[in-house]
Amino acid sequence: MRRAVYNSAIPNLILNSVSRTLRSAPGLRFVLKFSFIMFGLALAASAADWSVPEQQLARKIGAVTGPGAVALTIENRSSLGRRDSEIIQNGLRGALEGLGLRFQKTEQATATVTISLSENSTSYVWVAEIRQGAGEVAVVMVSAPRPEGAPAARDSVPLSLRKISLWAQDTPILDVAVLEENATPTHIAVLDPEKVTLYRLQGGKWQQEQALPIVHERPWPRDLRGRLVPAGDHLLDAYLPGLFCASTAGMPLALNCRESDDPWPLVAGTINGGTLSVFPSAGLANGAATVVPQMKAFFAPTRNFFTGALTPGVGKFTNVPKFYSATLLPRDKYTLWLFAATDGAVHMVDGVSDQTARFGWGSDLATVKTQCGAGWQVLASSSGEQAGDSVRAYEFPDRDPVAVSAAVELPGAITALWTEARGDTAVAVVKDRETETYAAFRVAMACSQ
Amino acid sequence: MRLFEWRWLAVSSALMAGLAAVVPACAAETRPQYGGTLHVTMLPAPASLDPADATQPDSFARRSLTLLMFETLVTMDPNGRPHAALATSWQALSGSQRWRFRLRRGVKFHDGAALTAENAASSLRAANPSWNVYADADSVVIELDSADPSLLAELAQPRNAIAKRNSDNKPAGTGPFHIADWQPGKKLILGAEEDYWNGRPFLDSIEIEMGKSYRDQMMALQLGNAELVEVAPEQAHRFSLEGDRLASSAPLELLALSFGGDIASPEDKLLREALALSLDRGSVRSVLFQGAGQPAGAVLPNWMSGYGFVFPADADLPRARQMREQVHTIPKWIIGYDSGDPVARLLAERIALNGKDAGLWLQAAPAAAADLHLVRIPLPADPWIALADVTARAGLPAARNKGGSVEDLYAAEQAILTTMRIIPLFHLPASYAVAATVKSWALRSDGSWNLADTWLGSAKP
Repeated sequence: MRRAVYNSAIPNLILNSVSRTLRSAPGLRFVLKFSFIMFGLALAASAADWSVPEQQLARKIGAVTGPGAVALTIENRSSLGRRDSEIIQNGLRGALEGLGLRFQKTEQATATVTISLSENSTSYVWVAEIRQGAGEVAVVMVSAPRPEGAPAARDSVPLSLRKISLWAQDTPILDVAVLEENATPTHIAVLDPEKVTLYRLQGGKWQQEQALPIVHERPWPRDLRGRLVPAGDHLLDAYLPGLFCASTAGMPLALNCRESDDPWPLVAGTINGGTLSVFPSAGLANGAATVVPQMKAFFAPTRNFFTGALTPGVGKFTNVPKFYSATLLPRDKYTLWLFAATDGAVHMVDGVSDQTARFGWGSDLATVKTQCGAGWQVLASSSGEQAGDSVRAYEFPDRDPVAVSAAVELPGAITALWTEARGDTAVAVVKDRETETYAAFRVAMACSQ
Repeated sequence: MRLFEWRWLAVSSALMAGLAAVVPACAAETRPQYGGTLHVTMLPAPASLDPADATQPDSFARRSLTLLMFETLVTMDPNGRPHAALATSWQALSGSQRWRFRLRRGVKFHDGAALTAENAASSLRAANPSWNVYADADSVVIELDSADPSLLAELAQPRNAIAKRNSDNKPAGTGPFHIADWQPGKKLILGAEEDYWNGRPFLDSIEIEMGKSYRDQMMALQLGNAELVEVAPEQAHRFSLEGDRLASSAPLELLALSFGGDIASPEDKLLREALALSLDRGSVRSVLFQGAGQPAGAVLPNWMSGYGFVFPADADLPRARQMREQVHTIPKWIIGYDSGDPVARLLAERIALNGKDAGLWLQAAPAAAADLHLVRIPLPADPWIALADVTARAGLPAARNKGGSVEDLYAAEQAILTTMRIIPLFHLPASYAVAATVKSWALRSDGSWNLADTWLGSAKP
């Protein structure tokens, strides 16, 4: 493989031709100059501002050496990148020159200054060791705060799942429900262990509309889970282990919570005469609702799984093994339910049989109805212990899953994956293991490519 | 001896092969499972579980145990930021000299008693007799002699965990696990606390075998009798070749030479400096520690301070001899070491040889009455508290955090090193090996393990 080679002659040729063009078009010259200035400003703004610690360290060095000739060495012992390191080195040289220091070779200098760009667990530490003659080494130093890390790069494949950021916060997110949307969500509800918070997009910024506290007596289980379900006659219901909360129908809006072991709905939808209309539009302009039997499951009030008890059940099965998540695949004459059991197996229950398989998936499943492929895809979280989990789409021609998308990487461990009420997307919540922050994403199929 | 070494090699190799076999077999579950008993082994054999018992030496294992049963008012994250624990909020008054901590409501000790400001204050008084601690309504107030910006970090230390001291030598805590059975120095069985305020842990119980040698621990792991074991630093590289079932902390255990007294004369100072300059840390690291750890010229590791490289750790034998030659009478120094420490004797003998090369007269002996001792000091993750711990161990005046700047820290550390009471040798990590069934376990920044979120899964995909 050949490496890129930068040739100085070619840019000159280009510049010459550009110069001729600019001389003949003053308006274009102004636009280009303005663009260059804006580009430069943007570059400068994107870089961290190191001028304060540069000036501080230069003053400390100058206080020891005074003006005069010094031999200066700067080395980077930190995680700073080359670009930042060079910016800082130039800044330090400039600051020292401003104080009257001149840079010479060691034999011509009255002092040698070795600056180390180091760091500790919380900040950058720049240390200058100053040697003057045969005397003691003077050490001066400054610290500079370390900026937050950059977000992980996004996966890019031809046919893929897309992740669209919905919400992020330092405290746990259990679920996010999109209550209203235009081209993008404009009104969302965020469920956390202590409240449901409503946010509205106003003037391009999310504004907190209201926080509805969740009153509970018992301590929450570890690996707390919860589910927000938009409701027909009121805004939403919230399901948590051993607790059920419903928003009031009228104003002022409040959340009424009660201890409850009521089963959780496995799929959000509209109940109508004992049946459940799910995926009412599936995000399609004229999509028809898919009607399936209503299905609920009991959640263990002090654990992180469903007990396996179903109501009304799948055919003859009213009990399945303990499971973390469940989803469905409508077939012509029946509905196939998939249960991600706590032992890592996937149980495929069609009402007559319970077939067990191990697909090497994680514990979170959701179904989306899209215009891609067979129209129904199961989203499954990845297994393993890598820094970030991923979600991949599968189709089930029969009982064996076929991967139909590349995996979309998520920046952390998936803590929730639920199908959204619109049907063609899912909400994934992830926890960043390093920063301990939480983020919710909408996961959507990009199937037109 | 030779037969034993071959056996040991065979066991180690089998263990490596076993680990290699299980490493790729990650669990298929990502959501934690409840249940099961985790078996842990450890070298230290504490006789008491009281977090404030100063007679028990600090160790990573002790820190780990304490934080399974007890909790502190606040915790610190790896970036040095405080987080609420038993205290939900706090306020520094009078320039960090007076602090008020509001306690979390609804928390209970394992014996059923409610956590109150009175028993929290009592617990902190027991751990810190020099503090003025008292209860004020639902808050604990701490008054100090002088301002201390490091108080939050100090309160996050396991020694300041809140304990309710009962008469049965089994202090009650508020942590995720309670004591089910305790045989001092031998075995500890912990049970999950069902009503733990921060959520019942996933494990049902933890069984901890104490006083186990590193060899026994590795064999226990290999035989499936333990799922979490300690690994000696010199063995860590062999595990690291095998994959990700080894976890090591940042190097935060200080291995150092500690002199019993202050510099007695200018000649004494010269000899101590000669000894420091004679030490060939690089060779020792390669041979004894098999490349683990970092040679140390500073008390604090560089990752903690950012300036550790300023204190040289390289040997300078010509200069050491030059200093030695300025002294006419060379005393015989005994280097004392802990006979229970597997590498201490070899290290002490190596130091004696290095000193001999510089013309010093040193002898290694497992003696309590020695001129200087080989010591291991597990450093807390906070640099100021780490310095304070080292000064306390060396019998020096406490290093006080007055402003918190890195230059203040450097000055305090330089002052410690100038006394020549401590000669840093190495910074070593705490290393552990875990079975493939152990999920979601983590090392804290202070080298202790956190098992509150740990669960046991399947080793098969």
